[in-house]
Amino acid sequence: MKRLTVFVLALALSLGVLAGAGGAQEVKLGSLNDLTGPTSDVGKDVALGIREAVQYVNDTGGINGKKIRLYLYDYGYRVPEAITTYKRFRDFDRVVGVLGWGTGDTEALSPTVGRDRVPYLSHSFAAALTDPKKAPYNFVYGTDYSSNARAAMTAWFDEVWMKDPRFREARAKNEKPRVVMFYGFPTPYASAPIKALKDHAALLGFEVGPDQDVSLVALDTKSQVLAAKAFRPHLAWHGNTTMSVAATIKDAHALGLGADHIVNNWGYDENLVRLAGPAAEGVMGIAVVSFYGANVPMMDKVVEYAKKVNPGVPQEARMIRTTQAWAQVLMMAEGMRRADKAGKLTGPGLKEALETLRGWTPGLGLPPVTLSATDHRPGSVVPIYRIKGGKFELVTQVDLKAKWPRQWEGEFFGY
Amino acid sequence: MYLPSGVYHETYAVSHAWWQTNFVRAKMALLVAFVLTLPLYVNLYWIGVSNIILYTILSALGVQLLIGYCGQITLGHAAFIAVGAYVTAIGVLFWGLPYPVAAVLGCLLAGLWSVLFGLPSARIKGFYLIMTTMAAQFITVDFIITHYVSRVGGREHYFSLPPGTITIAGWPVDSEIKVYYLASALTILSLAGMANLLRTRVGRAWIAIRDNDIAAETMGVNVVYYKLLAFFAAGVLAGVAGAVWIPSLLFVSPEHFQFSWGLWLVGVILIGGIGSLHGVVFGAIFVTLIPELLRFAVFPLSDVYPALSERFLYVKEAAFGLAIVLFLLYEPRGLAYRWQQTKNYFNLWPFPY
Repeated sequence: MKRLTVFVLALALSLGVLAGAGGAQEVKLGSLNDLTGPTSDVGKDVALGIREAVQYVNDTGGINGKKIRLYLYDYGYRVPEAITTYKRFRDFDRVVGVLGWGTGDTEALSPTVGRDRVPYLSHSFAAALTDPKKAPYNFVYGTDYSSNARAAMTAWFDEVWMKDPRFREARAKNEKPRVVMFYGFPTPYASAPIKALKDHAALLGFEVGPDQDVSLVALDTKSQVLAAKAFRPHLAWHGNTTMSVAATIKDAHALGLGADHIVNNWGYDENLVRLAGPAAEGVMGIAVVSFYGANVPMMDKVVEYAKKVNPGVPQEARMIRTTQAWAQVLMMAEGMRRADKAGKLTGPGLKEALETLRGWTPGLGLPPVTLSATDHRPGSVVPIYRIKGGKFELVTQVDLKAKWPRQWEGEFFGY
Repeated sequence: MYLPSGVYHETYAVSHAWWQTNFVRAKMALLVAFVLTLPLYVNLYWIGVSNIILYTILSALGVQLLIGYCGQITLGHAAFIAVGAYVTAIGVLFWGLPYPVAAVLGCLLAGLWSVLFGLPSARIKGFYLIMTTMAAQFITVDFIITHYVSRVGGREHYFSLPPGTITIAGWPVDSEIKVYYLASALTILSLAGMANLLRTRVGRAWIAIRDNDIAAETMGVNVVYYKLLAFFAAGVLAGVAGAVWIPSLLFVSPEHFQFSWGLWLVGVILIGGIGSLHGVVFGAIFVTLIPELLRFAVFPLSDVYPALSERFLYVKEAAFGLAIVLFLLYEPRGLAYRWQQTKNYFNLWPFPY
């Protein structure tokens, strides 16, 4: 019996070690990021940007005088680790809101954050996240993937197909524009907007060619490009991330695909120009905010803090992903300020505060954000850019709501 | 097997018993009491961590059976967990089955699916079998589930179950604590089932095949039958893990069952100890707690040096690889062996001979 007593005592002692931590006048913010996993190529830049933006918010008065305390953690795109990290944020660090990353964590945690009432502002823009009936506590700062794809196709149709002299003959013959889509079938991010894109192709009168499966890590896409070439497309949609988009665009250039390119937002950044070189010339794409260092309000602060907080990271390596991180943090900070002013700096209070945003923008080239309790789509305006001389220039801002008001309230909502 | 002096076995039943002394029985009772009362003295965060540990144990159990007891190396185990999870989710969502029925169906289908990919083991072994188990992963998750199953019912690429749809005999499994009890019960059942199975003719046949399949065959073991039985049992256990995954997240997506998860599970049993059920438990606790404890170290430190969380954390990935290398070098029999050694030390103290 003595042995058992000693055993129990030893157990009790080791359990007693597990104790909690306290906090002062701070607003706690969690952030799930991918610094080591499959999406780390863009995730690292985002994480740096989040740290810099939080520093900026704290230097300029914080949340009505309270400082933001940031808990940033890498989950390597492993869903179980994202779950335990989120629970740590919720129960241990007691954060008010969470900055999320990709589909892996955001959509997996969507039912959980809804139940726990913790607002979750993510970089994953899946359209399902914007319907408060399905995902009441999910927020995005940029237009969703489906809207983006629709807008990119509309921009090409309006600005290129209807105007460019290259297509005068085809237009005169009443030919239909032909589009082909390159994307990773098994990747949720890449396949998310495809159904919307096909519906939109039907709406605009496109002929849709056979879809081409390109892996996110593809280095050679010649067989897919040749298969697409048989269809003689005028337009190619690229739904992947930068590396494989660059590979496809280079192969299309080398094999003379002869189509224009439009690119999904996580495939359209400074690295595309670096990787695809001259083949990237004229490529159009979606960017929910302005590119790093562009001449827009607040960008001076972005560059200043990048140099100040992370002097070791070369400026050439910074990308639009930094700007996106700033948009995410500043939107969260704005929500927190409003919630704090109303005296309800809690999960539900923050949700309500975010839903009061009307035409709000922090600068950074982010189109005005308007949210409501029944619609979490931040807006209907999607900026479309084009690469010219290795630089990005704004082509047009497509306003989907103004163009299709009926569909915007109906079938465009929530998928 | 050490027994304290004065303990004598007088019947076969006693000498075959799992727990032979009152000290061991009391310890086991304490363990069960600890598992039952855990939610009383830890917060929900630790319950969440426990749920991930239990899910990892259930997932790795099948891998341990195949690799540790039957010698069939598998890297595609995530595929069978996915089958269990998807059948359970579809059963509840579209066929209107009660959760337990859907879960049992999921386990059976995962078992049969596993047998299908175990068939090549009749002709090939070693590296070639690894290739076929990898094929199981890519055919099941990347091809069938992503392209076809995920699109059932006009959904984009995942299933999200409305809250309140998971009930066991009218008792809704809707909180983490309830999931914890469900997962604990299933883990204890699976571990007890495995432990007993390994002491039967079937278990001994598996171990014989692992040690030397030709010798096993000459002794009259039907190698193909027992290998397929091992694949079936491992598939069923994967199905149990998949069924537990459903109520814990109410969400299932192909991204949860990536190839890397199958590799991770092999890491779990390497660290825990190959060919040991204790090893599964220790390995699962180790690989789940390491990132959590690192977080405890990094979060306070990042107040002083904020870049720590962006830069230093690469170490975490390296730490997992390093842990496996160090275990293979210095503790090839894993944590389970170390546990045995520690117990022996105390049992023999103060005269360790």
